[in-house]
This record gives sequence, C-alpha cells and structure tokens, in this order.
Amino acid sequence: MRIQISQLTKTYKGGVHALKGIDLDVPTGMYGLLGSNGAGKTTLMRTLAGLLRPTSGTVRLGGHDITTQDGRLAVQRALGYLPQDLGVYPDLTARRFLDYIALLKGIDGRSDRRRRIGELLEVVALGEHADRRLKGYSGGMLRRVGIAQALLNNPRLLIVDEPTTGLDPEERIRFRTLLSHLAGDRTVLLSTHIVEDVAQTCQSLAVLARGRLVFQGHVGELVARAYRQVWTVTTSGTAPSTGRIVAALPHGAGMRYRVVAPVPPAPAAEPAEPTLEDGYLALMEAAPPA
Amino acid sequence: MIATLRYEFLMQIRRPIMWIVYGLTYITLVAVFWPAYRTLSFTDDGGHDPKLAMLTSAKLIMVLLPIVYGCLIADRLIRDRRLGVATIMDASPADPFGRLTGKYLGVCAATAVPIALAFFGRAVVYAMTEGKVEALAWSVAVFPTAVLPGLAFLGALALAGPLLMPPLPFRVLFVAYWFWGNLIPADMMPTLSHTIFAASNEYVAYGLFGQTFEGLAYGPWPDAALNALRPVASPAVAVLWMGVMVALTIAILLITRLHAARSES
Ligand SMILES: Nc1ncnc2c1ncn2[C@@H]1O[C@H](COP(=O)(O)OP(=O)(O)OP(=O)(O)O)[C@@H](O)[C@H]1O
Ligand SMILES: [Mg+2]
Repeated sequence: MRIQISQLTKTYKGGVHALKGIDLDVPTGMYGLLGSNGAGKTTLMRTLAGLLRPTSGTVRLGGHDITTQDGRLAVQRALGYLPQDLGVYPDLTARRFLDYIALLKGIDGRSDRRRRIGELLEVVALGEHADRRLKGYSGGMLRRVGIAQALLNNPRLLIVDEPTTGLDPEERIRFRTLLSHLAGDRTVLLSTHIVEDVAQTCQSLAVLARGRLVFQGHVGELVARAYRQVWTVTTSGTAPSTGRIVAALPHGAGMRYRVVAPVPPAPAAEPAEPTLEDGYLALMEAAPPA
Repeated sequence: MIATLRYEFLMQIRRPIMWIVYGLTYITLVAVFWPAYRTLSFTDDGGHDPKLAMLTSAKLIMVLLPIVYGCLIADRLIRDRRLGVATIMDASPADPFGRLTGKYLGVCAATAVPIALAFFGRAVVYAMTEGKVEALAWSVAVFPTAVLPGLAFLGALALAGPLLMPPLPFRVLFVAYWFWGNLIPADMMPTLSHTIFAASNEYVAYGLFGQTFEGLAYGPWPDAALNALRPVASPAVAVLWMGVMVALTIAILLITRLHAARSES
C-alpha cells in the first residue's frame, strides 16, 4: 500500500509544530524512518494510522484520503499498527487479548479467528506461552504480542513505531528479521532512532529532524553523504576537536578515534569506510537548525 | 460493540477486588440494617407481604451497594488510555461509539451482577422461609423497574466522570453525591434526593407498586426546596422516572463520545 504525503503539517494544540511540511512517497517493502527524540516520527505514524488529523496537507494511503471518514475506514481495515508505547490488559492471556483485537478488526468468524491467532502465535514464537496472562510477559514477549496483534488482519500497511527500543540484542535482531520477512508485498514503515536496525533491514529510508524531512532515498545514498568525511585518528595526545567523534578505542599507549568531519580533523587522519550511521551523522551535522 | 461488551464484562467480573469490596459492604449493610433486613420490613408488620418485602429489599441494597458499583466502574474508561491499549483500538476500524456502548453495557452488567445476586438471593431465602413463591415473581418485577434504571444512570455517570478528574477524587465526590442526591432527607438542604432525578427507587415503589407510608402518598416534602422536582407519585411518574434515568444515561454517553472525538486531534 503506497503512502503519498504532501505538504503535511501537524501543529499540536499547545502550539508545538511537530511536522512542518512533509513531502514523502513510500513504496511497498521495508521503509525506514530515522530521527532523534522529538523529531516527529510518532506524530507522523499516528497521522498515518488515522489517529491524528493533519493540520494541513494531504495524506493518501493506497489512494485513500485519510482525512475523510470513508478513507480512514478503508485504511484502518488494511492497517497493522504497533504503537511506540503499546500496552495490554494484564489479566488477559495472549490468546484472549489477540481474540479481542481480532474482533475489533472485524474478523468475525470464530474458526477464522482461532486459526489466524494460532498461526501468528507461532510466527512470533509465543505458541507455548499463549495461555499465560500477559502480566507475566517480558518486554520482548509483549513486543511480539504487539506485532501479532498488528498482523491479525493480514495488513497491507504495517506501521511499527520504535519496536526495538529496550530489547536485548538477540531479541532486537530477531524482531527486525521478523519484520523484514513480513515485508514482501506489504509496506512496512519502521521508525527508530537505532540506525543499525534500518541498515540491516531497509533499502530505503527517510530522515526526520525537528519536524522536517531532511533526507529520503536509498540507504546507499545516505551512506554516500559521509563519503570522504569519515576518518580514523590515532593519537596519544588530545582528542580531535573538529568533527564528531563516533568511536573512541584504547590503542596501545594512546587512543584511536573514529571521526565524522568534512575535513581531516588532524594531520595524521586516515580516511575510513563510511557506514549508514556515519551518513546519518554527517547529515545531521549539515542539517540547518530548526 | 459485542466484542467490547463481552471482554469488558469478562475482565470486570473476574476482578477479585470487586467481589471483596461488595462482600464487605454487603456484610456492613446487613449488620447496620439488621432488624429490617431480617424481616424485609421497616415497620413491625413482620414483612409478610411479598411485594412490599421485595421493595424493601431493593431499597435496602440500594442504600450502600451503588457506592461500590460506582467506584468500581470509575476506572474502566480511562484505563484503556492508562494501560496504553487505547491506541490500537482507536486505530482499528471498529466504530468508536459502538465500542463505548459495548464497554458501558459490559462493565455495568458485570458490576451489577453482585447486586443482582444479593437481591435475588434474598428473594429466594424469603420465598423459602415465608413459604411464598410469589416473592420470586415480585422480585423479577421489582429488579428491572426499581433497581436497573438507577444503576444504568449511575453506571454512565461513573464511567464518564473520571474524564474530568482522576478516579480517586471522583470516587470521593461520587460517594458525597450518593448521600446528598439520593439518601438525605429532602428538607435537610436543597438536594436531588427524593426527586425524579434521584437514582434510588422511590417513585417506582410508591408510584408503580402502590407502596404507601403510613397511608400517605409520596411526593413533595413540606418545607423542602426543589419540590417542583417531586411530583405526587403515580404510575405515570414512575415511568417518567425510568425515562429520566435512561435519557440521562444516553445523554452522558453521547457527551462522552463527543468529548473523545473533539480531543482526538
Ligand atoms: N500530544 C501532544 N501534544 C503536544 N505536543 C506533542 C504531543 N505529542 C508530541 N508532541 C511534541 O511533538 C514533537 C514530536 O514528537 P513525536 O512524539 O512525534 O517525536 P518522536 O520522533 O516520535 O520522538 P521519540 O523518538 O522520542 O519517540 C515533540 O516536540 C513532542 O514534544
Ligand atoms: Mg516516538
């Protein structure tokens, strides 16, 4: 389900300009949405999910205008949404909770529901815990219940808001791998501030900063932003003062720094191979404030 | 709507705290009103008339149990937001007013179960000890007319009230409201009690079931303010009271929905 956003702004009641004129086109497949805290990722996703009314601009999802009642319903039927701060009813079991959400999503047939829930519990590897109450679940397990509920209606658009935050490394890798398997012919919009998650799963991404879109394109293009801007400096003296230090490792008697900077941060600096994270940082260094 | 009704009912009825609080309050009620609760009569007639006994039984449980009822409902609507489940429900294609109605019906039905058990349980005991099976028929007539309309309104009030303030102060206010608007004598201060806006059941008892107190009709109190709201009891006024309760319920639910829709964006 294609996402077409044009000139989208969102101003909250308190006067916070959370989104300032977003133009974005998201094709099917995995798509990353990067941005630091408060950049506007959640605001954008809540708008796409029909929970927030845009202040101005248009949002079309699979051709449906999200601001009309009918358009919103059509989108919500095809939508799976995993919010950033999803909660559950602690006294329900995972199976019951999913049953409730499935009913709300309009999966009326009892046997359909039972089969779908059974399948999804296997997909997220919760089969053996399915009849335990959710209050005993770990953070990672709850996140998997969250993705299972999002998938109940076999959505063509899957929106996941920072799903890997707070997970241990193994669980995080498992979760993002699961997401890329889900992509296929769906649109999966994954927001995160963990660059590595995007690097490992998405081919394209957009970067939000303070309510503006500062990048959209292929992962490779963002990496290229850091081309000739990443350096390794090995020194026993003071740290380089220009550019942004992204790593510092003890090296013999001194330190080895990895620095993102437009010019060599020290005479002895050696060029290094950029990563997506370097590209992101280079972009942020270059982005105009507010 | 059905889905929400079912799950809200289930989650509420399985709350241990509900049964505990009801149990304790019920024991208190029985202890405080012991002679009357034993005979199901406030006078010394022995409570042998099954109709009057059932009305008295309804009146007695409506003294304290509605407080528990309201307090237990008070956290149910805001809980979804607090727990963080509201987002996915709002993002589902399910109709918001249907969900609200389902929640209202499910929660109130579950929370009314202990009240119904107390009432019908007492009716069964009465029927057995007095040897009057008619009491069961009277109980079936009294509960939906004298008890349910009040509970319907109180449930809507308790569900929606905490949108305006946190549940704890709301509960305190609710208890205060209960005494002020339903229990105190009408001539004590300007009050809604004994009016057609009171959730307690008097108009049905006096108007529909023809109960009298020392042969007097029920209605305006001497020297009380707001007597305009206390018409002389009659079957029509009893029906009016039920209509008022239902209308208030619907009004509260509609306002709640409008409030939610407005604060959406
Ligand atoms: N309901 C709200 N009312 C007023 N302002 C809000 C509201 N929600 C978010 N904001 C503000 O809007 C801006 C964008 O917030 P948003 O939650 O969209 O950012 P985010 O990119 O998701 O951040 P994070 O990574 O911390 O989740 C922030 O300045 C935030 O304080
Ligand atoms: Mg966020």
